Amino acid sequence: MTDQQIAKKIGKDRSGMFIYLSQLLDTIVLDKNREFVGRVYDVVVRPSEVYPQASLLMIRKGFPDRQYAVIEWANIFEIDDKETWLTIGKDKIIFSQIHNNKEELTLRRDILDQQVVDTFNHKVIRINDIHLLFVDHLLMVAHVDISLRGIIRRLGYEKITDFFVSLVNKNAAYLKKEHLISWKYIQPLSINPASMTIKVNVPQQQFSRIPAADLAEIFQDLDVRQQLSFFKSLDLSTKARIFTHIDFKVQKSLMDDLGNKEIAEVLNHIPSDEATDFLEKLSKDRTVHILGLMETKYSKKLSQLLGYSSDSAGGLMTAEYIAFKKDDTIEAVLQQIKERTFKTEPAQFVYIVDEDHKLVGCTNFRRLILANPRDNVQKAAFPKIYSVRLDSSVKEVAYLMEKYKYYTIPVVDANNVLQGIITVDDILSQVISIAWRRLKRIEVKPS
Amino acid sequence: MNARLKASWAKLLIFLSVMGPGIITANVDNDAGGITTYSVAGAHFGYALIWSFIPIIIALIIIQEMSSRMAVVTGKGLADLIREEFGVRVTFYAMVVLILSNLFNTISEFAGIAASAELFGISKYILVPLCALAVWWLIVKGTYKSVEKIFLVACVFYVSYILSGFISKPDWGEIARSSMHPVFKMDKAYLLMLIGVIGTTIAPWMQFYQQSSVVEKGIKLKDYKYSRLDVIVGAFVVNIVAIFIVIVCAHTLFANGIRVETAKDAALALKPLAGHYCFYLFAFGLLNASVFSACILPLSTAYSVCEGMGWEVGVNRSFREAPQFYGLYTAIIVIGAALILLPGVKLVPIMLISQATNGLLLPFVLIFMLLLVNNKRLMGSYTNSRFYNIVTIIIIAGMIGLSIALLFTAFIH
Repeated sequence: MTDQQIAKKIGKDRSGMFIYLSQLLDTIVLDKNREFVGRVYDVVVRPSEVYPQASLLMIRKGFPDRQYAVIEWANIFEIDDKETWLTIGKDKIIFSQIHNNKEELTLRRDILDQQVVDTFNHKVIRINDIHLLFVDHLLMVAHVDISLRGIIRRLGYEKITDFFVSLVNKNAAYLKKEHLISWKYIQPLSINPASMTIKVNVPQQQFSRIPAADLAEIFQDLDVRQQLSFFKSLDLSTKARIFTHIDFKVQKSLMDDLGNKEIAEVLNHIPSDEATDFLEKLSKDRTVHILGLMETKYSKKLSQLLGYSSDSAGGLMTAEYIAFKKDDTIEAVLQQIKERTFKTEPAQFVYIVDEDHKLVGCTNFRRLILANPRDNVQKAAFPKIYSVRLDSSVKEVAYLMEKYKYYTIPVVDANNVLQGIITVDDILSQVISIAWRRLKRIEVKPS
Repeated sequence: MNARLKASWAKLLIFLSVMGPGIITANVDNDAGGITTYSVAGAHFGYALIWSFIPIIIALIIIQEMSSRMAVVTGKGLADLIREEFGVRVTFYAMVVLILSNLFNTISEFAGIAASAELFGISKYILVPLCALAVWWLIVKGTYKSVEKIFLVACVFYVSYILSGFISKPDWGEIARSSMHPVFKMDKAYLLMLIGVIGTTIAPWMQFYQQSSVVEKGIKLKDYKYSRLDVIVGAFVVNIVAIFIVIVCAHTLFANGIRVETAKDAALALKPLAGHYCFYLFAFGLLNASVFSACILPLSTAYSVCEGMGWEVGVNRSFREAPQFYGLYTAIIVIGAALILLPGVKLVPIMLISQATNGLLLPFVLIFMLLLVNNKRLMGSYTNSRFYNIVTIIIIAGMIGLSIALLFTAFIH
């Protein structure tokens, strides 16, 4: 049945008329023989369009053993604030006890009484009613109502209150001003239980038009779960804009939930002063770990700003290294090395870590190639491994590298977790600069 | 050893950062009304009611733990959840009753301030407006963190009751014996007192306040166990203080056959029997408790109502950003303080209405909580276990029975 065919069947043409969801809920539903089927419980909408269209009607019956049924919109002959008349017989409707429709957006469960973001007024609001528009035989979500009058309507006191207000003042703002907000500005916050994300339905540029400080304030008004899901659903630049403006407490909470990797990704898009502001407040280990996960060039700049600069291993190291779990076979390791691409060319050292990313061994390409491919990677490891701490000085690093003839040396934190590596060229440039300074001093002194 | 010490130190630090909501909520329970009830209980029945504090502690922990858990898991306040799950109609009426109940509770807190003003020999026309202004100023100008710190300090001042308990030098052996042996007299006055003591312990505003403040604090799921500890510590502290109030009054007033009707009477009667220090500590405790509760009750009301109705909320906002929040808060304080200063105001009917509205609302709040905490969509794997549900249902049934009984007895009186 096409839309036009249904439209012809409709008794009255309500096109252009509005109805509130509250006027629809709990009205009676009759089947084609005008026998009672149940009451309107919820309306499922297709969220894809700018103004979502009602696609299913959910009805319920019975108390306390409630039963629910879903009816296709095409099977509705007429719907208004008095009753809903279906085109199908009672026997065609299957009731069940479950009503949780996982994917769809439903108006009663997800919108009515819930909090949403109003991207026009830059606020988090609670919805008191939903304004629906008849277009042909269909219902579309047009506006949401956040007014006090919306609450009063739902309490059933609208007429009485209107009467008393008009007694006092016929032109009261309460009566004249409609607190309706167009749906196109509304961002629902219902969390999809499967993906734990919030579907962003307003265009992303709508967020980019909101000043970052306002956006952050909106964000901080959400509850913790909404914050997390909402954040995940945004694009990187919006994420970065929000992240720079929220309190450290919220930043930290996000980081704990999202993991260092995602935060590092966000930090790549944040101005360096803001990024260092955030990183400074973290523990040293965590800062170094996050820096290691960031783009090398930017993280080097940040670590310089953070004062790790040239005088410690933490500032010198790079996060571009090759590490494998100790249970991997040599065959698998070699295969992966061939397939991986590196931004910079790491020296030929390969590090072996355990489940917690703690450093357990080290090997090089030569040893791997010569070893039996079916062996465990640990078989190819050097008998002993030396590493430096994050706070080791340049001198210490240079001394150890020279002593053990390393081209790269691993850097670990206090718990022996691998953080990065220092390559010989990095340490050489440091040593040369120290040597130059000394040389100058020697030259200056005699004169 | 050193590592273990370090680990327990870290745990203590986490607890200190999480603690607050549970302890504060529980302590507000010992407000002017509570102190009056416990003083009268001690003066009229001696140690005979002390045993009842053990089931009270358990009930308090079970119910407040659910509030705390809902807050951490859902990140939403109780009024939020009621609105989202049960709709606007239910929320609206619940909020109307909550406003009434908390307004009358606040009036009785200001009555407590007035009473302690008289004890210290200060005019109540000076102290009551001063306290009202201070309370108002604190929330309007404070931030969540600073306000919580002040509240925690107020909790410490409850020690004054414990001190006054020690000063009066009671017979500890007898106290231990009577707390272990429940006495159940089928005497009308005794039963009324028992209902009164238990009934003042769990009030509807507590669940709203605690849940909101845990949310505001932003406690994470991984730190939840500390939040639970906060609730447990709070429940113990508040009941220990209550027990000491009973002890002081039992040891001095009951032993000498002095009957009192209010906390003020009790303090005055203590003066010749237990000395000046005990009197001042007792009076100071009353003032502290009244001011503290006069802060929290309007705050809790404003929070809950604005959450439920979808208005801007929060201590961290300005007056202009959250007009309903501050409006409601201010109105409750102003009405509360002004009514007490009106000449010829009778306190008894105010107490009755406060008890009646509490009793009316409590069953609904507890049932809502039970439904919400068992909602899988909200709570995931953190719903109540079957055993926990059985215990909770027993407690809720008991509380509902008691509050209905209290309601009836209040009006029969």
